[in-house]
Amino acid sequence: MSGSGYRPAFSEAFKSDSLAILDPISPIEDVSEEWAWGGARGRGVRVGIIDSGVEEGHSMVGPVNGWLAASMAAGDVRLSSEPHEDAMGHGTACAGIVRSHAPDCELYSIRVLGPGASTGEAFIAGLRWAIENEMHVSNLSLGTTKKAYYAALHELADLAYFRNVILVTAANNFPISSFPCEYASVISVAAHEGHDPETYYYNPMPPVEFGAPGINSRVAWRGGGTSLVTGNSFAAPHVTGFVARLLEKHPDLTSFQVKSVLRALAANIRREEL
Amino acid sequence: MGDRSLDELLASANETIAAQSSELERLRAGAAQVERFREALGVAVTGAAVGSPVSHTRLLEMVVETAVHIISANAGALLLLDEESDELVFEVAVGGKGEEVKSFRVPLGHGVAGLVAASGQPMSIAGTDWVETAQEIAEGVGYQPRSVLCVPLFYGGEVVGVLELLDKLDAEAFDSDDIGALSLFANQAAVAIAQSKAHQDALGILRSALVGLGENPGELSAVASEVATDMVGDEAYGQEIELARLVHEVASRGPEERAACKAILRALAAYVSSPAGARTGNVG
Repeated sequence: MSGSGYRPAFSEAFKSDSLAILDPISPIEDVSEEWAWGGARGRGVRVGIIDSGVEEGHSMVGPVNGWLAASMAAGDVRLSSEPHEDAMGHGTACAGIVRSHAPDCELYSIRVLGPGASTGEAFIAGLRWAIENEMHVSNLSLGTTKKAYYAALHELADLAYFRNVILVTAANNFPISSFPCEYASVISVAAHEGHDPETYYYNPMPPVEFGAPGINSRVAWRGGGTSLVTGNSFAAPHVTGFVARLLEKHPDLTSFQVKSVLRALAANIRREEL
Repeated sequence: MGDRSLDELLASANETIAAQSSELERLRAGAAQVERFREALGVAVTGAAVGSPVSHTRLLEMVVETAVHIISANAGALLLLDEESDELVFEVAVGGKGEEVKSFRVPLGHGVAGLVAASGQPMSIAGTDWVETAQEIAEGVGYQPRSVLCVPLFYGGEVVGVLELLDKLDAEAFDSDDIGALSLFANQAAVAIAQSKAHQDALGILRSALVGLGENPGELSAVASEVATDMVGDEAYGQEIELARLVHEVASRGPEERAACKAILRALAAYVSSPAGARTGNVG
């Protein structure tokens, strides 16, 4: 304290000798698809699939770079980094969609759904692992309606936001509170009827902020095959894929910048008027 | 504007109008479907509330039958969550070989039903490559479905079960309109199911109270307070619990008070069951 006098909490970052000087990014109206992700394949970007597991080697998924399975044992969460199977196909579907957008990304299967898991505690443990192990972006096509987990999940979502770990979540389909898709710190996605994987929309009426294909979509499924599916679960991974490509070209973007770029490039923005 | 002829503009406008009409028609059809659901559920709930003709189990069957009929599915099933074991319990199945299966259990997170219950997200799945995924349903209804639509049942903000439909008739898969309509229906059905269950419990308390009048008031008190504790927060049945408490209070005074209370309640029950009582709808 000597010599510097009193400073309010958190104000150290703004002292003249410690103030961070950063590179500018393009004005938002100048952001183009080419600038954002043109030519990118997600190389070097770690993508966490927090779900029912991912089937490694599926023709639409390819390799899995890391594993974490959270399960319950005598009331406690047990973590395992051994390779695992997909408990049903849901996680493989999400991984396949991400892979279709970002063929070179690194996929991490974080299994929190399945027999012996599927609790709020397992979900929280998996999400915490994704943040602490520095996934650049994680796909969460799941949620809970149990208020008991509201605070813990909110805290983790904020932690992810501040660490620039992007969380892309599937919106709930009901007018019922569900977490974490309703938090402002995540990117929430619902399904639209289109089938063009490159077309997504921005919704100016949150909490659902983006819409991507997820109705009657042909996706990868457990056992090396495919399924025809409908659900917001299958819309979120499209946006996760876009983020993986964006972060390959612009690894220093913050959580709020990522959301701004996604908004700027949505198909329902009148860009021709710029 | 000058580059396009009036005919072209007209043709374009007509196309837009046709597209809008078709979309309007689709929305109207969706609204009609929801309305049919509402009416059907209304009949089921009223039946259950009136009591004797429709048991709790029959209400569950009616919920599934209604959904199967209106969404045009081949079969359907209802599973309710057992919170103690984190398992879904197969309550009723309609179509297939449903009547043969009772007390079938699916762990949370297992298969389509378990995943929908764990994630709270409705899901439509079809295709030939997912046999294992739907194993629990295949066992439940006794055959292998081609397409499945599964939606969660919410009550009090939490998942209490799932409603599953199997094999959309005349289509490869259930579509988004089916998901929307069934989700809305499932929410209303969940309320009806919870109320029917609570109603059944409340009737149970009153029954115990009446039986206890001649026997053991201490046991009656324990049963009443146990069930009442379970039902804390369910205001709809607060009055019935209050009634049970009053009965207990009177009964605990002695044998004469118990006999008097029993006689009054019996007379009241006879009156409300009579045409005069039914006409007035209440006695207050």
